[in-house]
Amino acid sequence: MPPLPAAAAAISIAARTVDAVKVYGRGDTAVRALDGITADFTAHQFTAIMGASGSGKSTLLHCLAGLDRLTAGQTFIGGYELGQLNDRQLTLLRREKVGFIFQSLNLVPTLNALDNILLPLTIAGRKPDPGVVDGVVQITGIGDRLRHRPSELSGGQQQRVAAARALVSRPEIIFADEPTGNLDSKASGELLGFLRKAVDDLGQTIVMVTHDAFAASHTDRVVFLADGRAVQEMRSPTTDSVLAVVRHLGE
Amino acid sequence: MFKVSLRSLLSHKLRLVLTAISIILGVTFVSGTLVLTDTIRNTFEGVLSNVDKGVAVQVKGPAPATAAGRLSGASLPLPESVLAQVRKVSGVADAVGTVERSGVSLLSNGQVVGGTDQRTLLGLNWVSDPQLTTFELTSGTAPRTADDVVINARTATDGHLVVGQQIQVSFEASAAQTFVISGIATFGGQNSIASEGFALFTLPTAESLLEANSTFDVIDVSAQSGVTDLQLRDRVAAALSGSSVQVQTGAQAASQTEQNAVTEINLFIGTPLLVFAFIAVFVGSFLIANTFSILVAQRTQELALLRALGATRGQVFTEVITEATLTGIFASVVGFLVGIVVADGLIHIFSSSAKLSVQLNALIVSLLVGTIITVIAAVAPARRATRIAPVAALRQAEPEIQGLPRTRIGAGLVLFLGGTAGLLQSLFTASAAAGPNLEVLGLSVLAIFLGTALLAPILVRPVATVLGWPARLRGAPGRLAGENARRNPRRTALTSAALMIGLALVTAVAVITASLEASINQSIDGTVRAQLVVLDEGSGGFSPEVATTLRQDPKLADISEIRGTDVLVGDIATGVTGFDTGNIGRVLTFSMTAGSAASIATTTNTTIVDSTEAASENIHVGGTVTMTFANGDKVNMSVGGIYTPDALISGFLVSLDTLNPHLTTARDADIALNPAPGVSLPTAQASLLNDLRAYPQLSGLTRTQYKNLISAGLNTFLNLIYVLLGLAIFIAVVGIVNTLALSVLERTRELGLLRAVGMTRGQTREMVAWESVIIALLGAVLGLAVGSGLGIALVSALHSDGISQTAVPGNNLILYAVAAGLFGIVAAIFPAIRASRVDILRAVTTE
Repeated sequence: MPPLPAAAAAISIAARTVDAVKVYGRGDTAVRALDGITADFTAHQFTAIMGASGSGKSTLLHCLAGLDRLTAGQTFIGGYELGQLNDRQLTLLRREKVGFIFQSLNLVPTLNALDNILLPLTIAGRKPDPGVVDGVVQITGIGDRLRHRPSELSGGQQQRVAAARALVSRPEIIFADEPTGNLDSKASGELLGFLRKAVDDLGQTIVMVTHDAFAASHTDRVVFLADGRAVQEMRSPTTDSVLAVVRHLGE
Repeated sequence: MFKVSLRSLLSHKLRLVLTAISIILGVTFVSGTLVLTDTIRNTFEGVLSNVDKGVAVQVKGPAPATAAGRLSGASLPLPESVLAQVRKVSGVADAVGTVERSGVSLLSNGQVVGGTDQRTLLGLNWVSDPQLTTFELTSGTAPRTADDVVINARTATDGHLVVGQQIQVSFEASAAQTFVISGIATFGGQNSIASEGFALFTLPTAESLLEANSTFDVIDVSAQSGVTDLQLRDRVAAALSGSSVQVQTGAQAASQTEQNAVTEINLFIGTPLLVFAFIAVFVGSFLIANTFSILVAQRTQELALLRALGATRGQVFTEVITEATLTGIFASVVGFLVGIVVADGLIHIFSSSAKLSVQLNALIVSLLVGTIITVIAAVAPARRATRIAPVAALRQAEPEIQGLPRTRIGAGLVLFLGGTAGLLQSLFTASAAAGPNLEVLGLSVLAIFLGTALLAPILVRPVATVLGWPARLRGAPGRLAGENARRNPRRTALTSAALMIGLALVTAVAVITASLEASINQSIDGTVRAQLVVLDEGSGGFSPEVATTLRQDPKLADISEIRGTDVLVGDIATGVTGFDTGNIGRVLTFSMTAGSAASIATTTNTTIVDSTEAASENIHVGGTVTMTFANGDKVNMSVGGIYTPDALISGFLVSLDTLNPHLTTARDADIALNPAPGVSLPTAQASLLNDLRAYPQLSGLTRTQYKNLISAGLNTFLNLIYVLLGLAIFIAVVGIVNTLALSVLERTRELGLLRAVGMTRGQTREMVAWESVIIALLGAVLGLAVGSGLGIALVSALHSDGISQTAVPGNNLILYAVAAGLFGIVAAIFPAIRASRVDILRAVTTE
């Protein structure tokens, strides 16, 4: 991997955006999905990003994670400014430093659960550390389903496999995009509990986009977006306190 | 619903083009072949309508006694006296005799003039009556003196020959004589006669040069005004009654010539090309079936929506079939037009003067073939589409992972075994005379291909695993490629099967030619004792004068002429070969199963025959066979021995003394010879080549050179097959591109996911390339296996006919497999680039 640009952020900040602007389209049809967001995401914390549809929360996550590029402003992960990386460097950054959990279709259908978990390591050509793998598998509680293909797993199990995959390469930060969006409340609770444990026990950093107040209540901090701007922040959220802010923002 | 089909087609133009390409290419081949043969035929007919316009009646000699079952229209020479008889018939305006024989060579500076297709020309005498000739001078004058010659325009152009130039002329390798080109002519406006060149002489020169011995080949008669062709024909026939000459009106003669020409065009050009065109279309049908299967799978949601909105199963079926029909018609029309362009190009290469003939028939056949094949191929996918439940509209469409299709595998097994049984039955129970039943043979091979294609899904998993090994070593891309190849065995198998067909046919031909070469080599090493051979590489016979010349060379010995002719044995048309039996032991050895080879040397009217012929005709040593020669001679031959045939020597053999009395003209096919005692082979060959300088048509070869010549000929044939099957293979490669491109489209989300979790663009491309290589190599493995099987079966069936060796050309097979792998890489280029450019965001967002 070629040397990446020099670090520009404090150690305790896992990811940061500065004056992030993202415009889709041109001219009359242009939409400002992000309108100058500056936000820090602290290491070893579980952060939620919330907001109404169209508030820019998914766009922010995609830009933070290096899946999409900003129109203006900067984003950093672990000291690297993503705007200065080319496609290959971004790919390697995602591989080495970032984990992903998407809303659905997280897994490669031809690979069994274990191979899916190990996929980032396989792609990188790295040998898995058996201790880490066992630990992750144990926490996620899918030890008995490792030889099953994704089509043979329930939605909740699939998301836990995806979470295990995100953890196994020990990334600096995990981005989760509505990870509970397709799950029932029981499976949601299990997955959120597991993510919480990853932060508390393993010191993982997780940034999660959600529209679900119950999901947000598992985090350390919630960032509220409206019209592409960060409008409010909350620490130690509860379902009720989050719902109150959401209602307030909706007015 | 028609509107839905049309919209669906037009909204996916790339998909339409990819689907249509295989059919376009196949139909191009069909339409090109039809237009080409129509044009050749039409040109010929155009010439013929000119030819005999002034000819009221045509008189030819009796048909040869050996003509049974051959092309009609052949005739023996007519005595000169017939012309005088014809001229006396009342109503005859003019009658001219013509000598026409092929085998004339033009020599210049000790070399044969003209390209390979014009090595020998048709020799004729010039006819001055404009009513009775089709030749038109374009420059110079008609031949007037004994050493004048008029040549055809094409030969003049190709050989850079001009009027007034001196040229050597030789007929069937007789001693060359010097002529002067007095003129250049066309045949009814064509610069050659159906691509054969011609040379025209004065009548006396033609008679002596062409060794007519006071005979004519044809007498053309014109009628006085008021006498119809039919009346004149009957009068001429009456005047010549008693002799068995053939008398026809000009129109009858022309239509017979035309029919023969058409039969020959179909036999040598039309039918073989159509067979290859059919193979191309057949391969194309696999791709159509595959493409529609993938499209139906990808459109599951859309089709389910139609069902949810109230479309019946019948309407869904009709929708898919309508789309196939529209695709088929579109592809057929494009293919038809491209075919015309291709035919036009080919015609320009071979003859510039022909006018392209595009018949309605060609359009209809092209349209029907292309459309029907497309529709048939789409039936199975369309049926699958009807089974989509309306509820599927509500589910997220995801690329499925399929198990093995059991009923198809059962059907495949039945087809494969049935085809194999049919193949073996047609090959090994065929009578020697009739040969194998080609319809049964062809259908059996077809069944084997279809069966293998249906069985192939079973093999996908093991083959992909084995072939996936090297890919696996390449890490994640190779690993995932193997999984992708196996996720939908039917799709992978069908895509490979298309490549299998082309490779199987190439392999079968390679096995056959290699076996033929090995058998001939074995024959040269085993049966042939002579160390040198003289032959015409243009494969014509040559004058016995050559042997006479060689006999005077003290460095050469055992000069043995080998001479063949057509005969009927009983009522079966076959051939008989005559040898110089004086040297037989030093020139040839036979492996006798009964009797002795020396019998033909010691007694005239004795023959030896190969064991296969003997068995099939129930011939035994001491028995008698009746041979009928072309001139009608019937001779009872006693059977002196039975020998084992090999690739060069088979059939009835007699001594030259037995054969010569029954030949109209004596022509040698080969001369076998040895160095004189005490003379080294190189010295003898040098001396032989020196003797042959007067006969540049002929080659004097050592056994090794003879082997090389045969190898070269077989290689040329193999190369021709490569070219003809190249299109089928190309279509198969397009099929891999098509399947991969559609798969990439289908796996957009998955590819995006892989990119998101860290797969580089390079790794993504590599993954698609490996999958492509696996598909191609699976096709190669199947093709090489099926092709070797076919080739070995065919060769085994020919064992009794002297093709005693079975050779599988390992190097060629390795080459084919490597080539297939490279085709796989080439096929992957476009889909791999697409895959690497998948938009990650589109892939990972649900909306």
